[in-house]
Amino acid sequence: MAEVGAIRALVPSALRRIRPGTVGATVVLFVMLMLVAYPLVLLIEASFLVEGPGNTKVMGLELWRTAWGAPGMLPSILNTFKRVIATEIIAFPAAILIAWAVARTDLPGKKLIDTFFWVAFFLPALPVLMGWILLFDPQFGLANQAFVALFGMEEGPFNIYSFSGIIFAHIAARSVAAKYIFLSPAFRNLDGAMEEASRIAGASPLGTLRRIVIPVLMPAFLITLCISLIHSLESFEIELILGPPNNFYVFSTKIYQFIQEDPPMFGIATVLGLAILVCMLPLIFWQQYLSQRRSFVTVTSSFSLNILRLRGWRWPVFATIAAFGTLITVVPVIFLVMGTFMSLYGHFGLADAWTIEHWETVLTDPPMVRATANTLMMGAAAALIGVFWYSLVAYISVRTRYRARGLLDFLSWLPASLPGIILGLALLWVFLNVDLFQPLYGTLAVLVVACILNSVSTGVQLVKSNMVQLGRDLEEASFIAGGSWAYTFRRIVLPLLGPVLIAVALLTFVAAARNVSTIAMLVTSENRPLAMLQVDHIVDGTFEAAAVVGVLIVLLTGCMALVARLVGRRFGFSGLR
Amino acid sequence: MSGAGAKPFLGLAHVSKLFGTFRAVDDLSLDIVEGEVFALLGPSGCGKSTTLRQIAGLDSPDSGTITLNGNVLYSAEDDIFVPPQKRNMGMVFQSYAIWPHLTVAETVAYPLALRKVPQAEIDRAVAETLEQVGLGGFGDRPSPTLSGGQQQRVALARALVYKPDVLLLDEPFSNLDVKLREQMRVELKQLQRQVGVTVILVTHDQSEALSLADRIAVLNAGRVEQVGDPVDLYENPVSPFVRDFIGLSTRLDVEVTAVHGGEAQIRFGAGGISLASSALRGGAISPGARLTAAVRPESILVGSAARSADHNTFKATVETLLFVGDKFECHLRAGGDALLAYSSRGERLREGDTVNLHIPKEALSLWPK
Repeated sequence: MAEVGAIRALVPSALRRIRPGTVGATVVLFVMLMLVAYPLVLLIEASFLVEGPGNTKVMGLELWRTAWGAPGMLPSILNTFKRVIATEIIAFPAAILIAWAVARTDLPGKKLIDTFFWVAFFLPALPVLMGWILLFDPQFGLANQAFVALFGMEEGPFNIYSFSGIIFAHIAARSVAAKYIFLSPAFRNLDGAMEEASRIAGASPLGTLRRIVIPVLMPAFLITLCISLIHSLESFEIELILGPPNNFYVFSTKIYQFIQEDPPMFGIATVLGLAILVCMLPLIFWQQYLSQRRSFVTVTSSFSLNILRLRGWRWPVFATIAAFGTLITVVPVIFLVMGTFMSLYGHFGLADAWTIEHWETVLTDPPMVRATANTLMMGAAAALIGVFWYSLVAYISVRTRYRARGLLDFLSWLPASLPGIILGLALLWVFLNVDLFQPLYGTLAVLVVACILNSVSTGVQLVKSNMVQLGRDLEEASFIAGGSWAYTFRRIVLPLLGPVLIAVALLTFVAAARNVSTIAMLVTSENRPLAMLQVDHIVDGTFEAAAVVGVLIVLLTGCMALVARLVGRRFGFSGLR
Repeated sequence: MSGAGAKPFLGLAHVSKLFGTFRAVDDLSLDIVEGEVFALLGPSGCGKSTTLRQIAGLDSPDSGTITLNGNVLYSAEDDIFVPPQKRNMGMVFQSYAIWPHLTVAETVAYPLALRKVPQAEIDRAVAETLEQVGLGGFGDRPSPTLSGGQQQRVALARALVYKPDVLLLDEPFSNLDVKLREQMRVELKQLQRQVGVTVILVTHDQSEALSLADRIAVLNAGRVEQVGDPVDLYENPVSPFVRDFIGLSTRLDVEVTAVHGGEAQIRFGAGGISLASSALRGGAISPGARLTAAVRPESILVGSAARSADHNTFKATVETLLFVGDKFECHLRAGGDALLAYSSRGERLREGDTVNLHIPKEALSLWPK
């Protein structure tokens, strides 16, 4: 003991106060700064660098001045907002109505409708788009062919390669489904007693809706709208496929086009990305403000639902919503699968219209096999490393008093608000221009990093909310009973968080497997995953192969999503109180 | 079992804890005797829970010393901090902290498995402890399926099964309904007498502290106001805070008219009602001094009960009568001042009646303003 005391006396007390936990948290923070903040700083710096005399780089506004003259630059920004506004005007009210009808009326078949939207939410955009192309292509689209045959028109009325086609594709993809999933809990958790109190005080059902329900739910509406706008702005792959034939570019496809040029127009792409970020800043701050205000509907344990009786409207309303649900899930998948068995995509009139040849070639095609392996490895690595990383960040944020955890929260939240294409561009800068990381370019590691960042916000948030729910005293009870930190983590924390960690891993895998926008510019022929292979097939016009790849992606992500949902259902809501 | 003079078992000396600039615990010293039930009583924010967590090792004080049975658990000076898992204490949390993924038996076996007890021994101890807390046969049930009262018994079994040196209870009954709360109090007291474990109980509920504890420390703003056995605290509070926090009392603004020996003659109210007091609690008592007089409602004799007294009587008007089952609560007014007293069920008072009151002079205490 005396020696210990002597050694203690030698160590300055200020140093003794630095605990290993603090060191670990600082390492985590440093890595997050390197992965999130550093690439963005590089991007901003790059936009202000210009060629100086003798192959040097000097600071200047040259790029910012000349970029606006680049062909299609300004229209792409305008198109972005035009597209977002047109989509949200339709999708937002529709999602509110559907979520309300499912949560607070006596609509039949609620489970079925719920399932439709979850499936729509998890279906990757590109494979679904393939289904729509088969239906609405101006030449061979089945719907157009039907109109021509039935009404003797010269050409069909639909053209998916148009502004309205793009809006349709968005609404049929995630646009409505994501909002529905976001809004349903708010509607469900609204305490019916609030409405009943208003009715007893003398308000009509409509008056109650106006004076009580809408004001109470307003924060939920606003944050949903805000997040939807951000996500909508980030969209990439639908425009990538449907835009160019019509010469319609949004900022993300324009950046992609600039980078595809030979030589790549990095500077101009960077300016465009930053310009969009500046436009998005108000939205990003608004979201931060809204989510910090935390004025969401309070969840009570014993609330009553005030179920509105639809009477005669029950079945018509159900039919409408169910038809929409079918349209955005079953229909495109059927046509996608159909497409894989066609000799020539969309040409039903051929003598040998049907074949299994594409499955045979595609399944033995070396690039295809490599892409499948790439997707599996990339997804698995992102899921495993991601879960570990997200748990660390969440633990520091929830369970420690680490000084800089506010900054850590911000860094883990930021990637969700950055368009994938900009995050990808920033990472491209890092992997091309920083000596330390250059050797990694072209390897799967680059894509794994991109995918982990792509899911970091959702992952950390999920783990955090479950950790908060867990209650610190469950751990403390174990300490008191004699358990060390490690034992407690193994016997108490891990079993209780286990289900959510599995769910987060699966969700990260799904997001990685379907991701296009973040990795599009980081992919080379060596590390190309399935999703990018599908893009390349569509761009090359080999729709049949693209459809096969699409089905594979749907199967892969579908299974994972299903397991994630089952795990979430089984443990997430019943196990924890 | 209680009282001063016994060998100190758990000692806190000059313990302080700061949250920012807020002194949650302020130079607090306590000596707790082996085998006693010791209550930390006070309003929310008085530092009682922080003190308990410091004893448990879940929080670390900023200064001071905590010792258990001669061993130092915490010492700011020597930089000693024994982590909670090495303190061999048991604790029942306010939320019970029942692990939702374990069965009742697994929960209770948890601390024993940590202590490398052989499985056969664990099974026997778990069954015995569950029997003790009245949960015999519940071993295989998943803990979350139990009711609140049963969950509390599980938490108690988990805390007792390894025979801890000290059992810490953090507001253990606050989540139970009134009937169950009273039942659990009796059971806990019986269990403690049977097991003999030292218990430290944190509560804001005075009736809980009074009925369960052998000794009580009343805490206010991070400091100890008074330590004593329940009857002593109730009858001889040393500060206005303790007087008002424990039990009910009516306070009157009074003026001293005469002093002789250990007694003072005082006057209160518009009509100048004159009473004698022999319970002087400090302050300069001299004729003309303005003081506060306090009296417990049950010390005031009402109506027929007051008739036999020949001094310290006065008249009051019944303003409001509340029948509370075993008696009437009388809200009275005398000389413009409000008083609270109890009358027996047989008294048959009516609102508006004028009644005789008697306050024994030793029941009327005088305090500095």
